[in-house]
Amino acid sequence: MTIKAKLNELETRKAKALAMGGPEKLSRRRAEGNLNARERIDKLLDAGTYVESGLFATSHLPEAREKTPADGKIAGFGKIEGRPVALVSNDMTVMGASSSVVNGKKIRHMREVATRSGMPLVFLGESTGARMPDRMGAQGRAILGQDPAEYQRMRQSPWVSALLGSCYGSSTWYACMSDFVVMRKGAQMAVASSRVTSMAINQPVDAEELGGWKLHSETTGLVDVVVDSDEKAIETIKRYLSYLPSHNNEAAPVHDVPAGADEAGKRILDIVPADGSKVYDVRKVVEAIADPGSVFELKARFGKSLSTSLIRLNGRTVGVLANNPMFKGGAIDVDACNKATSFLVFCDSFNIPIVFLVDQPGFLIGLEGERRAAPSKIINWMNALSLVTVPKISVIMRKSYGQAYLNMGGGRNSDEVICWPTADLGFMAPEVSVNVLFGVKKEEDPARYEELLQQVTRDTSAWNLAALYETQDVIDPSDTRSCLISMLDVHRKRMGSEVGRHLLSNWPTSY
Amino acid sequence: MADTDVVSEVTGSVWKILVAVGDSVEADTPVVLIESMKMEIPVLAPDAGVVTKILVAVGDPVSEGQAVVALGT
Repeated sequence: MTIKAKLNELETRKAKALAMGGPEKLSRRRAEGNLNARERIDKLLDAGTYVESGLFATSHLPEAREKTPADGKIAGFGKIEGRPVALVSNDMTVMGASSSVVNGKKIRHMREVATRSGMPLVFLGESTGARMPDRMGAQGRAILGQDPAEYQRMRQSPWVSALLGSCYGSSTWYACMSDFVVMRKGAQMAVASSRVTSMAINQPVDAEELGGWKLHSETTGLVDVVVDSDEKAIETIKRYLSYLPSHNNEAAPVHDVPAGADEAGKRILDIVPADGSKVYDVRKVVEAIADPGSVFELKARFGKSLSTSLIRLNGRTVGVLANNPMFKGGAIDVDACNKATSFLVFCDSFNIPIVFLVDQPGFLIGLEGERRAAPSKIINWMNALSLVTVPKISVIMRKSYGQAYLNMGGGRNSDEVICWPTADLGFMAPEVSVNVLFGVKKEEDPARYEELLQQVTRDTSAWNLAALYETQDVIDPSDTRSCLISMLDVHRKRMGSEVGRHLLSNWPTSY
Repeated sequence: MADTDVVSEVTGSVWKILVAVGDSVEADTPVVLIESMKMEIPVLAPDAGVVTKILVAVGDPVSEGQAVVALGT
Protein backbone atom coordinates (compact mmCIF):
# COMPACT_ATOMS: atom_id res chain seq x y z
CA MET A 1 0.00 0.00 0.00
CA THR A 2 1.34 3.43 -0.91
CA ILE A 3 1.48 6.27 1.58
CA LYS A 4 -1.30 7.93 -0.41
CA ALA A 5 -3.51 4.91 0.09
CA LYS A 6 -2.66 4.91 3.78
CA LEU A 7 -3.58 8.59 4.01
CA ASN A 8 -6.83 7.91 2.21
CA GLU A 9 -7.59 5.19 4.73
CA LEU A 10 -6.85 7.65 7.54
CA GLU A 11 -9.32 10.15 6.09
CA THR A 12 -11.97 7.48 5.56
CA ARG A 13 -11.63 6.18 9.10
CA LYS A 14 -11.64 9.71 10.48
CA ALA A 15 -14.83 10.58 8.58
CA LYS A 16 -16.49 7.42 9.83
CA ALA A 17 -15.57 8.16 13.44
CA LEU A 18 -16.70 11.78 13.19
CA ALA A 19 -20.05 10.64 11.78
CA MET A 20 -20.84 9.26 15.27
CA GLY A 21 -24.03 7.18 15.40
CA GLY A 22 -25.09 8.22 11.88
CA PRO A 23 -27.25 10.94 10.31
CA GLU A 24 -30.59 9.52 11.42
CA LYS A 25 -29.81 9.52 15.15
CA LEU A 26 -28.08 12.88 14.90
CA SER A 27 -31.02 14.51 13.18
CA ARG A 28 -33.39 13.10 15.79
CA ARG A 29 -31.35 14.82 18.49
CA ARG A 30 -31.34 18.05 16.53
CA ALA A 31 -35.13 17.88 16.25
CA GLU A 32 -35.33 17.47 20.02
CA GLY A 33 -33.29 20.66 20.42
CA ASN A 34 -30.22 18.94 21.87
CA LEU A 35 -26.66 19.51 20.77
CA ASN A 36 -24.69 16.41 19.87
CA ALA A 37 -21.52 15.40 21.70
CA ARG A 38 -19.17 17.07 19.22
CA GLU A 39 -21.20 20.28 18.95
CA ARG A 40 -20.99 20.54 22.74
CA ILE A 41 -17.19 20.29 22.59
CA ASP A 42 -17.08 23.00 19.90
CA LYS A 43 -19.15 25.34 22.08
CA LEU A 44 -17.10 24.63 25.19
CA LEU A 45 -13.59 25.11 23.83
CA ASP A 46 -11.78 28.09 22.36
CA ALA A 47 -11.88 27.78 18.57
CA GLY A 48 -9.11 25.66 17.07
CA THR A 49 -7.77 24.34 20.39
CA TYR A 50 -9.35 20.86 20.44
CA VAL A 51 -7.08 17.82 20.24
CA GLU A 52 -8.85 14.46 20.37
CA SER A 53 -7.59 11.39 22.18
CA GLY A 54 -9.00 8.07 21.00
CA LEU A 55 -10.88 9.04 17.84
CA PHE A 56 -10.18 5.56 16.46
CA ALA A 57 -11.04 3.69 19.63
CA THR A 58 -13.95 1.25 19.36
CA SER A 59 -15.53 -1.57 21.33
CA HIS A 60 -13.06 -4.33 22.17
CA LEU A 61 -15.54 -6.85 20.74
CA PRO A 62 -14.73 -7.41 17.05
CA GLU A 63 -18.42 -7.77 16.15
CA ALA A 64 -19.23 -4.33 17.66
CA ARG A 65 -16.33 -2.38 16.18
CA GLU A 66 -18.18 -1.00 13.18
CA LYS A 67 -20.99 0.47 15.23
CA THR A 68 -18.92 2.05 18.00
CA PRO A 69 -17.13 5.13 16.66
CA ALA A 70 -14.89 6.60 19.42
CA ASP A 71 -16.61 3.93 21.53
CA GLY A 72 -19.34 6.37 22.55
CA LYS A 73 -17.28 8.56 24.84
CA ILE A 74 -15.35 11.29 23.06
CA ALA A 75 -12.25 12.45 24.93
CA GLY A 76 -9.62 15.11 24.39
CA PHE A 77 -7.93 18.32 25.37
CA GLY A 78 -8.41 21.97 24.54
CA LYS A 79 -8.57 25.42 26.06
CA ILE A 80 -11.27 27.45 27.78
CA GLU A 81 -10.55 31.20 27.87
CA GLY A 82 -6.94 30.32 27.07
CA ARG A 83 -6.51 27.77 29.88
CA PRO A 84 -5.96 24.04 29.15
CA VAL A 85 -8.64 21.50 30.10
CA ALA A 86 -9.31 17.81 29.56
CA LEU A 87 -12.80 16.60 28.70
CA VAL A 88 -15.08 13.65 28.10
CA SER A 89 -18.21 14.18 26.00
CA ASN A 90 -20.71 11.32 26.01
CA ASP A 91 -22.13 10.41 22.62
CA MET A 92 -25.64 9.02 23.11
CA THR A 93 -25.86 8.12 19.42
CA VAL A 94 -23.25 5.40 19.92
CA MET A 95 -24.71 2.61 22.03
CA GLY A 96 -26.20 5.16 24.42
CA ALA A 97 -22.70 6.24 25.52
CA SER A 98 -22.70 3.11 27.63
CA SER A 99 -19.63 2.26 29.69
CA SER A 100 -17.27 -0.23 28.09
CA VAL A 101 -13.78 -1.62 28.51
CA VAL A 102 -12.24 0.73 25.94
CA ASN A 103 -14.06 3.97 26.77
CA GLY A 104 -13.24 3.32 30.43
CA LYS A 105 -9.57 3.44 29.42
CA LYS A 106 -10.18 6.78 27.71
CA ILE A 107 -11.73 8.28 30.84
CA ARG A 108 -8.88 6.95 32.95
CA HIS A 109 -6.34 8.60 30.66
CA MET A 110 -8.18 11.94 30.87
CA ARG A 111 -8.24 11.72 34.67
CA GLU A 112 -4.56 10.90 34.89
CA VAL A 113 -3.44 13.59 32.47
CA ALA A 114 -5.67 16.27 34.05
CA THR A 115 -4.21 15.46 37.46
CA ARG A 116 -0.60 15.16 36.32
CA SER A 117 -0.68 18.28 34.16
CA GLY A 118 -2.83 20.37 36.51
CA MET A 119 -5.86 21.13 34.40
CA PRO A 120 -9.61 21.04 35.02
CA LEU A 121 -11.53 17.99 33.80
CA VAL A 122 -14.97 18.48 32.26
CA PHE A 123 -17.57 15.73 31.83
CA LEU A 124 -20.40 16.44 29.40
CA GLY A 125 -22.76 13.85 30.78
CA GLU A 126 -25.42 11.76 29.10
CA SER A 127 -25.17 8.00 29.39
CA THR A 128 -27.27 4.88 29.76
CA GLY A 129 -25.01 2.99 32.18
CA ALA A 130 -23.09 -0.26 31.80
CA ARG A 131 -22.88 -1.64 28.26
CA MET A 132 -24.86 -4.79 27.71
CA PRO A 133 -24.21 -7.59 27.05
CA ASP A 134 -20.49 -6.88 27.71
CA ARG A 135 -21.11 -6.65 31.43
CA MET A 136 -23.22 -9.79 31.78
CA GLY A 137 -22.10 -12.79 33.77
CA ALA A 138 -18.87 -13.53 35.58
CA GLN A 139 -16.88 -12.49 32.52
CA GLY A 140 -18.58 -9.09 32.72
CA ARG A 141 -17.55 -8.84 36.37
CA ALA A 142 -13.96 -9.55 35.36
CA ILE A 143 -13.77 -6.46 33.15
CA LEU A 144 -14.89 -4.18 35.97
CA GLY A 145 -12.73 -2.74 38.72
CA GLN A 146 -9.41 -2.93 36.95
CA ASP A 147 -8.49 0.52 38.24
CA PRO A 148 -8.63 0.70 42.03
CA ALA A 149 -8.43 4.51 41.85
CA GLU A 150 -11.38 4.78 39.44
CA TYR A 151 -13.60 6.42 42.05
CA GLN A 152 -10.89 8.16 44.04
CA ARG A 153 -10.93 11.91 44.24
CA MET A 154 -8.05 13.92 45.72
CA ARG A 155 -9.01 17.24 44.09
CA GLN A 156 -5.64 18.03 42.55
CA SER A 157 -7.53 19.84 39.79
CA PRO A 158 -11.19 20.89 39.54
CA TRP A 159 -13.75 18.51 38.04
CA VAL A 160 -16.92 19.79 36.47
CA SER A 161 -19.97 17.83 35.27
CA ALA A 162 -22.86 18.83 33.08
CA LEU A 163 -26.01 16.68 33.12
CA LEU A 164 -27.37 17.12 29.62
CA GLY A 165 -29.78 14.23 29.10
CA SER A 166 -30.50 10.86 30.64
CA CYS A 167 -27.63 10.25 33.05
CA TYR A 168 -27.31 6.78 34.51
CA GLY A 169 -24.15 4.91 35.43
CA SER A 170 -20.93 6.70 34.53
CA SER A 171 -22.32 10.24 34.05
CA THR A 172 -24.02 10.00 37.44
CA TRP A 173 -20.92 8.70 39.22
CA TYR A 174 -18.70 11.40 37.74
CA ALA A 175 -21.23 14.11 38.61
CA CYS A 176 -21.15 12.96 42.22
CA MET A 177 -17.34 13.04 42.16
CA SER A 178 -17.23 16.51 40.63
CA ASP A 179 -16.72 19.84 42.38
CA PHE A 180 -19.50 21.43 40.37
CA VAL A 181 -22.60 20.09 38.62
CA VAL A 182 -24.80 22.01 36.19
CA MET A 183 -28.03 20.36 35.02
CA ARG A 184 -30.18 21.14 32.01
CA LYS A 185 -33.91 21.05 32.71
CA GLY A 186 -35.29 17.88 31.15
CA ALA A 187 -32.16 15.88 32.00
CA GLN A 188 -32.23 13.17 34.65
CA MET A 189 -29.65 11.77 37.01
CA ALA A 190 -30.26 8.52 38.86
CA VAL A 191 -28.60 5.23 39.73
CA ALA A 192 -30.70 3.43 37.14
CA SER A 193 -33.21 4.54 34.51
CA SER A 194 -36.91 4.87 35.28
CA ARG A 195 -37.54 1.77 33.10
CA VAL A 196 -35.06 -0.38 35.02
CA THR A 197 -36.24 1.05 38.36
CA SER A 198 -39.85 0.47 37.43
CA MET A 199 -39.10 -3.20 36.67
CA ALA A 200 -37.14 -3.58 39.91
CA ILE A 201 -39.84 -2.21 42.19
CA ASN A 202 -42.74 -3.39 40.06
CA GLN A 203 -44.53 -0.06 39.86
CA PRO A 204 -44.59 2.88 37.49
CA VAL A 205 -41.77 5.40 37.98
CA ASP A 206 -41.74 8.88 36.56
CA ALA A 207 -38.30 9.79 35.20
CA GLU A 208 -38.58 13.40 36.31
CA GLU A 209 -39.57 12.40 39.82
CA LEU A 210 -36.79 9.81 39.92
CA GLY A 211 -34.01 12.15 38.89
CA GLY A 212 -35.18 15.49 37.53
CA TRP A 213 -33.87 18.99 38.14
CA LYS A 214 -36.28 19.75 40.97
CA LEU A 215 -35.21 16.68 42.95
CA HIS A 216 -31.52 17.45 42.58
CA SER A 217 -31.62 21.21 43.03
CA GLU A 218 -34.09 21.25 45.95
CA THR A 219 -34.00 17.91 47.76
CA THR A 220 -30.66 16.15 47.21
CA GLY A 221 -28.53 19.25 46.59
CA LEU A 222 -26.39 17.22 44.17
CA VAL A 223 -26.84 19.85 41.46
CA ASP A 224 -25.32 23.32 41.87
CA VAL A 225 -26.95 25.23 39.03
CA VAL A 226 -29.98 24.49 36.81
CA VAL A 227 -30.23 25.90 33.28
CA ASP A 228 -32.64 25.69 30.33
CA SER A 229 -30.38 24.60 27.49
CA ASP A 230 -27.14 22.87 26.52
CA GLU A 231 -25.71 26.23 25.50
CA LYS A 232 -26.46 27.77 28.89
CA ALA A 233 -24.92 24.75 30.63
CA ILE A 234 -21.71 25.22 28.67
CA GLU A 235 -21.62 28.96 29.40
CA THR A 236 -22.12 28.12 33.08
CA ILE A 237 -19.14 25.73 33.06
CA LYS A 238 -16.95 28.46 31.59
CA ARG A 239 -18.15 30.98 34.14
CA TYR A 240 -17.55 28.58 37.03
CA LEU A 241 -14.02 27.80 35.90
CA SER A 242 -13.23 31.52 35.67
CA TYR A 243 -13.29 31.63 39.50
CA LEU A 244 -10.93 28.69 39.94
CA PRO A 245 -7.24 27.99 39.64
CA SER A 246 -6.36 25.31 37.07
CA HIS A 247 -5.04 23.12 39.89
CA ASN A 248 -4.65 23.16 43.66
CA ASN A 249 -1.05 24.32 43.59
CA GLU A 250 -1.80 27.86 42.44
CA ALA A 251 -4.01 30.77 43.44
CA ALA A 252 -7.24 31.54 41.56
CA PRO A 253 -6.90 33.93 38.61
CA VAL A 254 -7.22 37.66 39.34
CA HIS A 255 -9.71 39.58 37.19
CA ASP A 256 -10.06 43.28 36.42
CA VAL A 257 -12.25 45.21 38.84
CA PRO A 258 -15.24 46.85 37.09
CA ALA A 259 -15.59 50.63 37.44
CA GLY A 260 -17.80 51.78 40.30
CA ALA A 261 -17.25 48.56 42.26
CA ASP A 262 -17.38 50.40 45.60
CA GLU A 263 -20.73 52.12 45.01
CA ALA A 264 -23.31 49.44 45.92
CA GLY A 265 -21.64 48.56 49.21
CA LYS A 266 -22.41 52.01 50.55
CA ARG A 267 -26.13 51.22 50.37
CA ILE A 268 -26.05 48.16 52.64
CA LEU A 269 -28.03 49.94 55.35
CA ASP A 270 -30.96 50.18 52.91
CA ILE A 271 -30.97 46.37 52.67
CA VAL A 272 -30.54 45.16 56.25
CA PRO A 273 -33.14 46.34 58.80
CA ALA A 274 -31.60 47.27 62.17
CA ASP A 275 -34.60 45.60 63.86
CA GLY A 276 -33.61 41.94 64.26
CA SER A 277 -37.21 40.78 63.92
CA LYS A 278 -37.39 41.98 60.31
CA VAL A 279 -36.07 39.74 57.57
CA TYR A 280 -34.33 40.53 54.28
CA ASP A 281 -32.65 38.60 51.47
CA VAL A 282 -28.95 38.36 52.32
CA ARG A 283 -28.11 37.77 48.66
CA LYS A 284 -28.66 41.50 48.15
CA VAL A 285 -25.91 42.12 50.73
CA VAL A 286 -23.60 39.72 48.89
CA GLU A 287 -24.35 41.55 45.63
CA ALA A 288 -23.63 44.90 47.26
CA ILE A 289 -20.27 43.77 48.63
CA ALA A 290 -19.01 41.88 45.57
CA ASP A 291 -17.44 43.29 42.43
CA PRO A 292 -20.41 44.17 40.16
CA GLY A 293 -21.75 41.15 38.25
CA SER A 294 -19.42 38.71 39.99
CA VAL A 295 -21.84 36.77 42.25
CA PHE A 296 -22.17 33.10 41.25
CA GLU A 297 -24.54 31.38 43.66
CA LEU A 298 -24.27 27.61 44.19
CA LYS A 299 -27.16 25.36 45.27
CA ALA A 300 -29.52 28.36 45.38
CA ARG A 301 -32.62 26.20 45.82
CA PHE A 302 -31.17 23.84 48.46
CA GLY A 303 -30.65 24.58 52.17
CA LYS A 304 -31.81 28.10 51.41
CA SER A 305 -31.34 29.49 54.92
CA LEU A 306 -27.62 29.54 54.10
CA SER A 307 -26.56 31.05 50.79
CA THR A 308 -23.22 29.99 49.29
CA SER A 309 -21.61 31.85 46.43
CA LEU A 310 -18.38 32.49 44.65
CA ILE A 311 -17.75 36.19 44.22
CA ARG A 312 -14.86 38.46 43.34
CA LEU A 313 -13.63 41.07 45.76
CA ASN A 314 -11.26 43.53 44.20
CA GLY A 315 -10.77 41.03 41.35
CA ARG A 316 -9.97 38.05 43.58
CA THR A 317 -12.14 34.97 44.08
CA VAL A 318 -13.78 34.59 47.50
CA GLY A 319 -16.27 32.00 48.76
CA VAL A 320 -19.13 33.50 50.79
CA LEU A 321 -21.35 31.67 53.29
CA ALA A 322 -24.22 33.94 54.28
CA ASN A 323 -27.16 33.17 56.57
CA ASN A 324 -30.39 34.12 54.84
CA PRO A 325 -33.14 35.26 57.26
CA MET A 326 -35.57 35.26 54.32
CA PHE A 327 -35.76 31.47 54.63
CA LYS A 328 -36.54 29.79 57.95
CA GLY A 329 -35.45 33.03 59.60
CA GLY A 330 -31.86 32.02 58.82
CA ALA A 331 -32.08 29.00 61.16
CA ILE A 332 -29.56 26.41 59.96
CA ASP A 333 -31.13 23.06 59.02
CA VAL A 334 -29.50 19.78 57.99
CA ASP A 335 -29.44 20.70 54.30
CA ALA A 336 -27.75 23.99 55.13
CA CYS A 337 -25.16 22.11 57.24
CA ASN A 338 -24.32 19.76 54.38
CA LYS A 339 -24.17 22.68 52.00
CA ALA A 340 -21.79 24.57 54.30
CA THR A 341 -19.43 21.62 54.77
CA SER A 342 -19.37 20.85 51.08
CA PHE A 343 -18.58 24.50 50.29
CA LEU A 344 -15.80 24.79 52.91
CA VAL A 345 -14.16 21.62 51.60
CA PHE A 346 -14.36 22.91 48.04
CA CYS A 347 -13.01 26.41 48.80
CA ASP A 348 -10.15 25.06 50.88
CA SER A 349 -9.20 22.55 48.20
CA PHE A 350 -8.76 25.29 45.60
CA ASN A 351 -7.15 28.04 47.69
CA ILE A 352 -10.25 30.22 47.81
CA PRO A 353 -10.51 32.48 50.90
CA ILE A 354 -13.76 32.27 52.86
CA VAL A 355 -16.04 35.01 54.18
CA PHE A 356 -18.94 34.39 56.58
CA LEU A 357 -21.80 36.89 56.68
CA VAL A 358 -23.53 36.07 59.93
CA ASP A 359 -27.14 36.63 60.95
CA GLN A 360 -28.56 33.45 62.42
CA PRO A 361 -30.82 32.44 65.33
CA GLY A 362 -29.14 29.03 65.74
CA PHE A 363 -29.58 25.58 64.32
CA LEU A 364 -33.11 24.63 63.40
CA ILE A 365 -33.99 22.22 66.15
CA GLY A 366 -36.79 19.70 65.87
CA LEU A 367 -37.68 16.08 65.15
CA GLU A 368 -36.89 16.27 61.45
CA GLY A 369 -33.35 17.46 62.12
CA GLU A 370 -32.65 14.77 64.71
CA ARG A 371 -33.98 12.06 62.39
CA ARG A 372 -31.55 13.28 59.78
CA ALA A 373 -28.56 13.14 62.14
CA ALA A 374 -28.29 16.91 62.70
CA PRO A 375 -25.64 16.63 65.46
CA SER A 376 -23.24 14.81 63.14
CA LYS A 377 -23.77 17.37 60.38
CA ILE A 378 -23.03 20.23 62.79
CA ILE A 379 -19.82 18.57 63.91
CA ASN A 380 -18.70 17.58 60.41
CA TRP A 381 -18.96 21.28 59.59
CA MET A 382 -16.88 22.21 62.66
CA ASN A 383 -14.28 19.57 61.88
CA ALA A 384 -14.01 20.84 58.31
CA LEU A 385 -13.77 24.43 59.52
CA SER A 386 -10.94 23.52 61.87
CA LEU A 387 -9.03 21.92 58.98
CA VAL A 388 -9.45 24.85 56.58
CA THR A 389 -6.12 26.54 55.85
CA VAL A 390 -7.28 29.34 53.53
CA PRO A 391 -7.97 32.79 55.04
CA LYS A 392 -11.34 33.03 56.86
CA ILE A 393 -13.06 36.29 57.83
CA SER A 394 -16.34 36.41 59.74
CA VAL A 395 -18.65 39.44 59.68
CA ILE A 396 -21.37 39.40 62.34
CA MET A 397 -24.10 41.60 60.91
CA ARG A 398 -26.95 41.02 63.36
CA LYS A 399 -27.65 38.01 65.53
CA SER A 400 -25.33 35.09 66.13
CA TYR A 401 -26.79 32.69 68.66
CA GLY A 402 -26.04 29.27 70.02
CA GLN A 403 -23.41 26.80 68.96
CA ALA A 404 -23.82 28.00 65.39
CA TYR A 405 -21.81 31.08 66.42
CA LEU A 406 -18.75 28.83 66.12
CA ASN A 407 -19.83 27.21 62.84
CA MET A 408 -20.10 30.68 61.33
CA GLY A 409 -16.52 31.47 62.25
CA GLY A 410 -16.95 32.92 65.75
CA GLY A 411 -14.13 32.85 68.30
CA ARG A 412 -10.87 31.62 66.80
CA ASN A 413 -12.70 29.76 64.06
CA SER A 414 -11.79 32.52 61.65
CA ASP A 415 -8.70 34.65 61.25
CA GLU A 416 -10.59 37.85 61.91
CA VAL A 417 -14.04 38.57 63.35
CA ILE A 418 -15.65 41.87 62.41
CA CYS A 419 -18.92 43.13 63.89
CA TRP A 420 -21.48 45.62 62.75
CA PRO A 421 -22.84 47.80 65.59
CA THR A 422 -26.12 45.89 65.12
CA ALA A 423 -24.46 42.60 66.16
CA ASP A 424 -26.41 40.69 68.82
CA LEU A 425 -24.54 37.91 70.57
CA GLY A 426 -25.77 35.34 72.99
CA PHE A 427 -26.67 31.74 73.48
CA MET A 428 -30.39 32.28 72.99
CA ALA A 429 -32.89 35.13 73.13
CA PRO A 430 -33.41 36.07 76.82
CA GLU A 431 -37.19 35.81 76.39
CA VAL A 432 -36.79 32.17 75.39
CA SER A 433 -34.32 31.39 78.14
CA VAL A 434 -36.77 32.51 80.88
CA ASN A 435 -39.03 29.68 79.80
CA VAL A 436 -36.18 27.18 79.31
CA LEU A 437 -34.47 27.91 82.65
CA PHE A 438 -37.46 28.59 84.90
CA GLY A 439 -40.47 27.23 83.03
CA VAL A 440 -42.20 30.59 83.35
CA LYS A 441 -44.30 31.90 80.49
CA LYS A 442 -45.14 35.59 80.09
CA GLU A 443 -48.86 34.98 79.65
CA GLU A 444 -49.05 32.88 82.81
CA ASP A 445 -47.16 35.09 85.28
CA PRO A 446 -46.19 38.45 83.76
CA ALA A 447 -44.64 39.94 86.91
CA ARG A 448 -42.40 36.94 87.64
CA TYR A 449 -41.53 36.69 83.94
CA GLU A 450 -40.36 40.33 83.83
CA GLU A 451 -38.30 39.85 86.97
CA LEU A 452 -36.59 36.75 85.59
CA LEU A 453 -36.10 38.40 82.21
CA GLN A 454 -34.11 41.18 83.87
CA GLN A 455 -32.10 38.56 85.70
CA VAL A 456 -31.06 36.58 82.58
CA THR A 457 -30.59 39.49 80.17
CA ARG A 458 -26.91 40.12 79.48
CA ASP A 459 -25.12 42.67 77.42
CA THR A 460 -25.32 41.12 73.93
CA SER A 461 -23.68 44.01 72.12
CA ALA A 462 -20.75 44.15 69.73
CA TRP A 463 -19.06 46.52 72.21
CA ASN A 464 -18.86 43.86 74.86
CA LEU A 465 -17.37 41.38 72.37
CA ALA A 466 -14.92 44.07 71.19
CA ALA A 467 -13.86 44.86 74.77
CA LEU A 468 -12.92 41.21 75.18
CA TYR A 469 -11.05 41.30 71.83
CA GLU A 470 -13.31 38.53 70.54
CA THR A 471 -14.16 40.78 67.62
CA GLN A 472 -11.21 42.64 66.21
CA ASP A 473 -13.22 45.60 64.96
CA VAL A 474 -16.68 47.12 64.88
CA ILE A 475 -17.38 48.81 61.56
CA ASP A 476 -19.96 50.89 59.74
CA PRO A 477 -21.82 48.30 57.61
CA SER A 478 -21.29 50.47 54.54
CA ASP A 479 -17.52 49.91 54.96
CA THR A 480 -17.84 46.10 54.82
CA ARG A 481 -16.46 45.74 51.30
CA SER A 482 -13.36 47.84 51.92
CA CYS A 483 -12.81 46.16 55.29
CA LEU A 484 -12.97 42.69 53.73
CA ILE A 485 -10.62 43.66 50.92
CA SER A 486 -8.08 44.96 53.48
CA MET A 487 -8.43 41.97 55.79
CA LEU A 488 -8.19 39.39 53.02
CA ASP A 489 -5.04 41.15 51.88
CA VAL A 490 -3.62 41.04 55.42
CA HIS A 491 -4.34 37.31 55.69
CA ARG A 492 -3.11 36.25 52.24
CA LYS A 493 -0.85 33.23 52.59
CA ARG A 494 2.20 34.93 51.16
CA MET A 495 4.63 32.35 52.53
CA GLY A 496 2.96 29.61 50.52
CA SER A 497 2.12 31.54 47.35
CA GLU A 498 -1.52 31.58 48.53
CA VAL A 499 -1.68 27.79 48.40
CA GLY A 500 -3.25 26.08 51.40
CA ARG A 501 -2.43 22.68 52.90
CA HIS A 502 -5.52 20.93 51.50
CA LEU A 503 -6.26 18.84 54.54
CA LEU A 504 -9.80 18.34 53.24
CA SER A 505 -8.93 17.30 49.71
CA ASN A 506 -10.05 13.71 50.25
CA TRP A 507 -13.32 14.61 51.98
CA PRO A 508 -16.46 13.55 50.10
CA THR A 509 -17.47 15.46 47.01
CA SER A 510 -21.18 14.84 47.72
CA TYR A 511 -23.07 15.09 51.03
CA MET B 1 -55.86 22.87 37.56
CA ALA B 2 -55.68 21.94 41.24
CA ASP B 3 -54.81 24.65 43.71
CA THR B 4 -51.23 24.96 44.89
CA ASP B 5 -50.67 24.95 48.63
CA VAL B 6 -48.39 27.64 49.96
CA VAL B 7 -46.68 26.06 52.96
CA SER B 8 -44.79 27.47 55.91
CA GLU B 9 -41.16 26.37 56.15
CA VAL B 10 -41.08 26.94 59.90
CA THR B 11 -43.06 26.16 63.02
CA GLY B 12 -44.47 29.29 64.69
CA SER B 13 -47.65 31.32 64.87
CA VAL B 14 -49.41 33.46 62.30
CA TRP B 15 -48.38 37.07 62.80
CA LYS B 16 -49.99 38.75 59.80
CA ILE B 17 -51.91 37.73 56.69
CA LEU B 18 -50.76 39.85 53.78
CA VAL B 19 -53.18 38.79 51.04
CA ALA B 20 -56.93 38.34 50.55
CA VAL B 21 -58.93 35.86 48.47
CA GLY B 22 -58.89 37.03 44.87
CA ASP B 23 -55.49 38.76 45.05
CA SER B 24 -53.04 38.01 42.26
CA VAL B 25 -49.52 37.30 43.45
CA GLU B 26 -46.19 36.84 41.72
CA ALA B 27 -43.75 34.06 42.60
CA ASP B 28 -41.83 34.86 45.81
CA THR B 29 -44.49 37.31 47.07
CA PRO B 30 -44.83 37.09 50.88
CA VAL B 31 -48.41 35.93 51.63
CA VAL B 32 -48.28 35.38 55.39
CA LEU B 33 -45.83 36.38 58.15
CA ILE B 34 -45.06 33.69 60.70
CA GLU B 35 -43.68 34.67 64.08
CA SER B 36 -40.97 32.19 64.96
CA MET B 37 -37.65 32.42 66.76
CA LYS B 38 -38.59 36.03 67.56
CA MET B 39 -38.66 36.93 63.91
CA GLU B 40 -41.31 37.75 61.35
CA ILE B 41 -40.64 35.10 58.75
CA PRO B 42 -42.42 35.42 55.42
CA VAL B 43 -44.14 32.53 53.67
CA LEU B 44 -43.46 33.08 49.98
CA ALA B 45 -45.70 32.07 47.08
CA PRO B 46 -43.84 29.35 45.11
CA ASP B 47 -45.43 30.41 41.81
CA ALA B 48 -47.58 33.19 40.43
CA GLY B 49 -51.33 32.71 40.96
CA VAL B 50 -54.58 33.95 42.46
CA VAL B 51 -55.33 33.45 46.14
CA THR B 52 -58.28 31.04 46.39
CA LYS B 53 -58.27 30.26 50.11
CA ILE B 54 -56.78 31.58 53.33
CA LEU B 55 -56.25 28.52 55.51
CA VAL B 56 -55.13 30.14 58.78
CA ALA B 57 -56.08 33.03 61.06
CA VAL B 58 -53.88 35.51 62.93
CA GLY B 59 -52.53 33.88 66.08
CA ASP B 60 -52.96 30.29 64.85
CA PRO B 61 -50.09 27.93 65.57
CA VAL B 62 -48.51 26.67 62.36
CA SER B 63 -46.22 23.69 61.95
CA GLU B 64 -43.46 23.16 59.40
CA GLY B 65 -44.94 22.08 56.08
CA GLN B 66 -48.47 23.29 56.91
CA ALA B 67 -50.43 25.03 54.14
CA VAL B 68 -51.39 28.61 54.96
CA VAL B 69 -52.84 29.80 51.65
CA ALA B 70 -54.06 28.09 48.48
CA LEU B 71 -53.27 29.51 45.05
CA GLY B 72 -55.18 28.86 41.85
CA THR B 73 -54.44 29.92 38.32
